[in-house]
Formats: sequence, structure tokens, C-alpha cells
Amino acid sequence: MNLHLILPEVLVLVGGLLAVTVSLVAPPARRAGLVPWVAGLALAAALAAVLVLRPDGVSLAGSHLSDGFSRFVRAMACAGGLLLVVISSSYTRRLDRGHGEFYGLLLFALLGVMLVSSVTDLMGLFVSLELVTITSYVLAAFKRTDPRSAEAGLKYLVVGAVSSAFLLFGCALVFGATGSVTFATISTHVAGKGFGPLLALGAGLVFCGLFFKAAAVPFQVWAPDVYQGAPSPVTAFLSSLSKSAGFVLLLRIVSILVVPAAGTPGGDAWIAFFGVVASLTLLYGNLGAMPQRDVKRLLAYSSIGHAGYMLLGVTVVIAAKTTALRVDGAAAVLVYLVAYYLTTLTAFAVVVALSAQGRGHDSAGVYAGLHRRSPLLAFAMLLALLSLAGVPPMAGLIGKFLVFFSLVGAAEARPGLYALGVVGSLGVVLSLYYYLLLIRDMYAKEPAADGPQGPIVLPLGTKVAVFVGIFALIGLGVYWGGAFDAARAAASALFAARG
Amino acid sequence: MNLPLVILLLPAFATLAIFAVPASRPQVVKGIAFLATLGVLVASIVLAVTFGTTDAPSETVRATGHVYKHVMTVPWVPALGLQFKLGVDGMGVAMVLLTALTIFTGVCVSFSVKERAKEFFLNLLALVTGVFGVFVSLDLFFYYFFYELAVIPMFLLIGCWGSTTKTMSRDYASMKLVLMLTTGAVFALLGLLAMYTKAGSFDMVRLEQLAATGTFSRAFQLAWFPPVFLGFAALVPMWPLHSWSPGGHAAAPAAVSMLHAGVLMKIGAYGILRVAVTYMPEAAQVYLPWVGVLCCFNIVYGGLVAMAQKDMKFVVGYSSSSHMGYVLLGIATANLIGVQGAVYLMFAHGVMTALAFSLIGFFYEQTHTRMLDDLGGLMKKMPFVGTCFVIMSMASAGLPGFANFVSELLVIIGAWHAGMYVPAILATWGIVVTGVYLLRTVKSAFLGRMPARWEGLEDARTPFQKLPFVLLVSTLLLFGFWPAPLLSLIRQGVTPIVASLDKAAQKTAAETGQR
Repeated sequence: MNLHLILPEVLVLVGGLLAVTVSLVAPPARRAGLVPWVAGLALAAALAAVLVLRPDGVSLAGSHLSDGFSRFVRAMACAGGLLLVVISSSYTRRLDRGHGEFYGLLLFALLGVMLVSSVTDLMGLFVSLELVTITSYVLAAFKRTDPRSAEAGLKYLVVGAVSSAFLLFGCALVFGATGSVTFATISTHVAGKGFGPLLALGAGLVFCGLFFKAAAVPFQVWAPDVYQGAPSPVTAFLSSLSKSAGFVLLLRIVSILVVPAAGTPGGDAWIAFFGVVASLTLLYGNLGAMPQRDVKRLLAYSSIGHAGYMLLGVTVVIAAKTTALRVDGAAAVLVYLVAYYLTTLTAFAVVVALSAQGRGHDSAGVYAGLHRRSPLLAFAMLLALLSLAGVPPMAGLIGKFLVFFSLVGAAEARPGLYALGVVGSLGVVLSLYYYLLLIRDMYAKEPAADGPQGPIVLPLGTKVAVFVGIFALIGLGVYWGGAFDAARAAASALFAARG
Repeated sequence: MNLPLVILLLPAFATLAIFAVPASRPQVVKGIAFLATLGVLVASIVLAVTFGTTDAPSETVRATGHVYKHVMTVPWVPALGLQFKLGVDGMGVAMVLLTALTIFTGVCVSFSVKERAKEFFLNLLALVTGVFGVFVSLDLFFYYFFYELAVIPMFLLIGCWGSTTKTMSRDYASMKLVLMLTTGAVFALLGLLAMYTKAGSFDMVRLEQLAATGTFSRAFQLAWFPPVFLGFAALVPMWPLHSWSPGGHAAAPAAVSMLHAGVLMKIGAYGILRVAVTYMPEAAQVYLPWVGVLCCFNIVYGGLVAMAQKDMKFVVGYSSSSHMGYVLLGIATANLIGVQGAVYLMFAHGVMTALAFSLIGFFYEQTHTRMLDDLGGLMKKMPFVGTCFVIMSMASAGLPGFANFVSELLVIIGAWHAGMYVPAILATWGIVVTGVYLLRTVKSAFLGRMPARWEGLEDARTPFQKLPFVLLVSTLLLFGFWPAPLLSLIRQGVTPIVASLDKAAQKTAAETGQR
């Protein structure tokens, strides 16, 4: 059975169940303190299991694959989840109930993200993705009594259900066209016969389902409303790890479904498809973010913009003519994902800390003069915004640099890709504008006379998360050789399966 | 110990040290900034004086004989061949010296900053770390890294400590500056990445060798020279990409204007020479004549607009874009005399503008206005500052005895040699325009009747207040009367660039002849 291969997943699952149990049996006064520890320890153990055991091989009767790619993603999910638990703890300690449900659902969602990287067939794909999605519905509506949170949950549910239908229908068509649900067989079929209309339609529908997770055009409309309405820690999850589940699957599906057909007309049509989606996503996110005055909404649009950059990387994977260039493109997406989720979590550590001050504390007016009220929060937000903008010495620069690097590398053989480079460059400039506006609010203005005043007292959890975030962002931005090597190794596992 | 590394790390460590100082101790912050920049200045002078004789590790570009000294290499991302590589040639040394002089005097005049002094010096030193990084990097990735590093502190410095006037708010000016410079930078980055794709290296010494041996085809050069060149030219700033610069100067606090006009704009010209022209000389031969046309707009249009300004910082701001036109003209000549003159002018103009902005900043702190109509007769109350301003005006107008004279003369001679008669004549006429607007400024600010409200103004009294002005004026005079040492430094750096331009011209001529 090779159970040690799925030990990380088992640990997270047990952790989630324990979190629920502990919150049932522990005395009410101690729940808020105890449950995050249970969740955090489970994730730390799972992270250690991934890093120490380095699971490698197939288990669960061939439906769970542990390769370099899945190890990278699982480590990323556990580490990010750990940071997320630390951030959430300063939020949930003010709740009077529901700790077990919150952390339990969070861990189940993280379990989904981990499983997503290891699936070997369309069934596993759908089930693991739904594990992320359905738990997210509940989490988004977690503040039941707040109408905006309930609205966010409902909107997410409706759009999510439609996209799940797309995904499932797409899987059915792919099965119909290839006669199999396992990735290996599908891959062989595509390599041999290329794309028929049925398979093309099926693949397109599958991609649409994944675009929903990734918040890419045209499945991005839910993001601003849901991000704004959901509790801040949940927004942090949606914009970081939930999004990465979409990209992890996009890379996996592209590598088994599209790459084998590279060079054929049916295969090359996907370059234009992804190129257009990436450009539109980039422009939609960055243009839409400009007028936003609610920080969570702004981060929602910005997260759409970032999806555009990662889609540029995915486009490179499809358009590249050599495996080396494909690996560069996939590695760029992975580094971008890591840099992006570290940045987002740091930014949300600040947002959560300010949300904890009370209702309506997400508007940009509350950020005015933040440097006077809490220099640490303002500085962390400054670094996070600079990282989102891709300014040195922040992690975000490396993600953008590598995406452009792989793009220009692949463009030598396909000059059409330069157009994407131009769109991406414009996106950098557009995004700088709205990040700088918020930075100016924080640093060049004084706290608004009618807004909250006075210094902000930070709980320990927030301080830890903020410091971890600051050091991670600068560390990855300055010395990124190790992260790049790991991402490259993970990316080459993606293409090694077919020799 | 590697001198460029010292020069890079001193301000970087000072930034970190200032972080640790509590905001309630501004004197400690200022002390750290002063000592660090003094150390950098001393190190830069040592670097410049010993450059000819040093036996520090060096690397030579075999194909062109271009020598980089004080080379230090640390592998950074082996998978991509990225290195943290430092080193300088004569042109780099001149720019490092200019930066060190500007930041030291900038820190001196910023001692009067009272509001949020800790954050001010933090940003100022972070900014200058980036600038030094650009001039000492020998790896294109770090070159870009350090350049972008300099942009954001600039935004915060102008946005938080800048001044708002009727015509230009600091919010608008800082945003415009960052967006225009970043637009230039990202398009230049695409070009740098295209070079990497072709050559497989970001190592600038290796790239120079590869470029000289024909790695970049003519078609490649013709396609990529424009984005790379324009990316840097936006920073110079070349007309019509200049509109961020006068407003940016005007809104910025004194030390930032000094660094900005004194050094940051030179990064653009430096990048044009070091990257665009060096790696793509054939395309440079094709496009540079057009630059020779555009720079005339800089010189004449910038000068004429400066005449019409009422705000003193705008006068100097437009005068800067006019003078950078001479630098571009020098580069466009593509001959040794002109390019030397361009680099010499980068140095001289940097020192001169730093002097101008430090003087304006000195009396602006007391008058809170820079409008020429409000001022007048200030010479009575501030004879020292007034005299320095007159000296600055003479230098700016290119009077003999100042470094600016040497460089502008070289540029114009170079242009005449290159057969660019019209630009040369316009440039000569531009000197007259400069004289007109500067004399007008001197007249309405320092001479004439003094409004009664300026009775309480104080001159620079203490030696410490006078130090930055004395230092800058004496630098201008020193290199005006004795240009040889600086010129030989610069020649060491630009000779290989001009040689590759000549080679490209011969190659093109030979190919045209064959057809």
C-alpha cells in the first residue's frame, strides 16, 4: 500500500478531525487558544513528512502519484497553511464559537490543495478540486450573521457550481474522446492522434473549470465580491492557496493534454487560446484595480492581474519548442506561485490585523497614516505591496523576472510571444500605480480626522506572521537560487513522465 | 578588500543601522548617514586616484581591450549563470565619484530635515545604494535590480517630504516620475532578456566580448536597440520623454533633487553607453543621427522653456533637460572627442546641478517660496549663498574655468568633427540661452530691491553649512582648470566603446560597398 507516501495527507486529515474534536471536548474558554495549535502542529508535521521522507512513487492503487512536482506543491501548501493558521489565530480568538469548524474546514481545504498535485486521473482531479471548492463555500460564508459574508458564500457557490459543471462535462468529453480517465492513457492518445473537435471541446471546458479556481478571465467576476465579503483569513486562503490549486492543475493538465500534441495545428491552437486569456486577465485585473478604495477588493483585482502573469508562464509551457524552455516556463510559474502566496499572506496578515479592529476597517481610508499608528504593519504592507508590484529586493520581482525570462526565451522561436511581453510590461506599470496610491495613503498622509486614531496593539500571532513574511519576502527576493533550483526540479518531473 | 564592494555596502549597512535607531534620536541617524557617506566619498576618491596604478584583480575584454578593474565575482544563481559581479572602468569610476560627492553634500544639506528624519535618511541611503549598485555592477540582472531599487525610495522621498506648488503637486510629480521611469525600465528589460537569450549570459564583460565578435546580428540589433535605448533615454531624459523630470525636480526635497538631477539622470546616459551602444554598435550607427536631431529639441526647447519659468526649481529643472541634450549630442557624435565630452559633462553637470539645488534648498527653507516674483535682493542678506549661486550660473553657462566649459567645448568640437553642423551651431546658441535665463534668475532673486519681509533671512554661517557649497564649487573649478586626470579616466572607459562604433561603421561601409 505504501502508506508512507500519503503520510502528509493523512496527517493533515487527522489534524482537521482533531481540530473539530478538540473544540467539542475542550472547555469553552480554552478553545480559541487550543484549536489553532492543533491545526498548526498537524501542518508542521505534514511539512516535515514531505521534506524528510521525500515520498516518491505511486500509491492508492495508482491514483496517487508522489513525484518532484507534487512534493514541491505539498511542501508549499503545508508551509503556506502554517502561516495562514498563525494569521487566522489573531482573528478567530475573537470568535465565541466555531473554532473547530473553521480550522477543520481550513485543513480539509489544504488537504484538497495537496491532493490536487498528486492526482493521476480525471476522477481524482474532480474530487480533490471539489474538496477545495466546497469547503471554501462554507468558509466564505463563515460569518453567517454578516449579510456580506453570506452574500459572498452564495455568490461563490453559484459561480463555483457552474464552473464545476463545466469541469465535469469537460472531463466526460475527454473521456468520451480518448476512452480513458487516466492521465497516462490520455497523454498517449493525444500524442498519437492529436486533437479532434470533441477532445478540444472537452479540454477547453476543463480549462474553463480551472480558470474559475485561478480567477482568470472570463471566470473572474466572483473574485472582488467574494474577497470583499468573506472573513479576511478566508480571503487570504482564497487568494493564495486556493488559487495555487488552479495553477497546479493547469500545469499538470497542460503537460499531459496539450504538450504531447505540440507541433500539430490542434496543439498549437492552444497557444493563442492561453495567450488571449492571459492578456485579458492581466488587463482586466490591473485596470479594474485602479479605482478600488477597499483594500480587500483591490487585492482581489490585483490577484486577477497576478493570475495573468502566471498564465503567461503557462502559455510559455505550451508555446516553447524545447523541453528545457518548457521547464523554465513551468518553474517560473511555480516560483511566481511561491512568491505570490508569501506576499499575499503577508499583506493579509496586515489586513486581518486591521479587520480585527472592527467592521469597515478594510477601506483605504483606514490605511491613511498607518505608519503613525503601527510602523510594523505599515512597513509589512509596504514590502508586500512592493513585492506585488515586482520591485527589488522583494520576492515578487523574481517571479515576474522569471516569467519574462522564460517568455523572451521562448519568443526567439515564436516572435508572436513578444506581444505578450509588451502586455505584461504594461501590466507592471499599471499595477505600480494603484499599489503606490495605497503606499502613499499609508506613508504620506496623516490618519483621517474622522477615522480611527491611536496606536494599534498587535497580538503575538500577527507579529510572528508579519516578521516571517518580511524575512521570507526579502530572503527570497535577494537569494533565490535555491528556490529556483527546487522549482526547476519540480517542473522537470512534470515533463519527465513521458520520457 | 574590494573597493566597489565597500562603496556599495557602506550605505547599505548604514540603512540597516538606521533601522535599529529609535525615531526619537534623529541626531544619531544623521551621524550615521554623515559618517557612512563620508566613508563612501573617501573610498571613491581613493578608487579614482589609484585607478591607473592599482593591481586589484582585473578583467579584460579580449576583443576590444577594455579593462575592468576591482573585479569581484560571486556565483548567485548558477542554474542561470547569474553572478553578483562588481567592477569598474574609468567611466564607472567617474560616475561613482560624482555619486559619492552628491550624496555626501546631500546628506550635509539634509541635516536641517526635522520631520521624520529617520525615515528620510533611511530612504535616502537606500536610494543611493541602488545608484552605486548600478555603477559598479558587471551583471545585467543586478544592474536592473539596483536601478529599480532606486526608484521606490525616490517616490517616497518626493511623496512624503516634497513640496507642493500651485503648478505641481508632489503627489502628481512623484507618481508621474515613477510610472514613466518604470515604463522605460520594463521595456529595456525585455531587451536585456533578449540579449541573454542570444548570448546565454548576463555577465557584462562576456557580453561585450560576444558583441564584439558578432553574436548579435544586424537584424537583432536593429530590432532591440530602440526599446533598450528609449528605456534609458526616458531617464536621461530625452525630448519628448522628458516631461516627468522638471516637475520631479521641483517637487523633491533639496537632497533628492540633487541626487535626482545630479546622478539619476546620468544613469540613463550611462546605460545608453554601457549597454545600448556597446552591445549594439551597428544599430547605434543607424539610430544615433536621429538622436542628434532629437537632442536639439532638448537643448533649444528646454532652454526656451526655462526662460519662461517663474519657479527657480523649474528653471534649473528645464535647464537640466537642456544640458542633458548636450550629453546626448556628445553620444550621438560617435567619436572619441564627443563621447568623452558627454561623459565629462555628465560629471560636470551633476556637480553643477547638485550645487544649484542645494543653494535653492538652503534659502527655500527660510523663504518657503521659490517664485522669482516674490524674491529679490537676497544678496544683501545672504552674500555667501548668493555668490555661490552666481558661480553656479557661470558654470552652467559654460564660462571658461569651470568643468562645464571643458565638456561643452569637447561636445561641440566632436559634433563639428562628425559633420553635425546644425546641431553644433544650435548647441553653441544654446549656451547663450542658458546665459539669458540664468542671469535673469540671478537678477530677480539676488539683485535689485529686497522686499521687506526677507529682512530676517540668514546666510550660511557655520563652516558646516558652508562645507557642501565649498566642496561642490571647488570641484567645478578643479576640473575646469585641470581636466587631464578626470579626462584620462573617462578616456579609458569610452575608447573601447568608440572603437566598436568605428568598427561597426567600417563593417557597414564594407557591406554597402560590396553591394
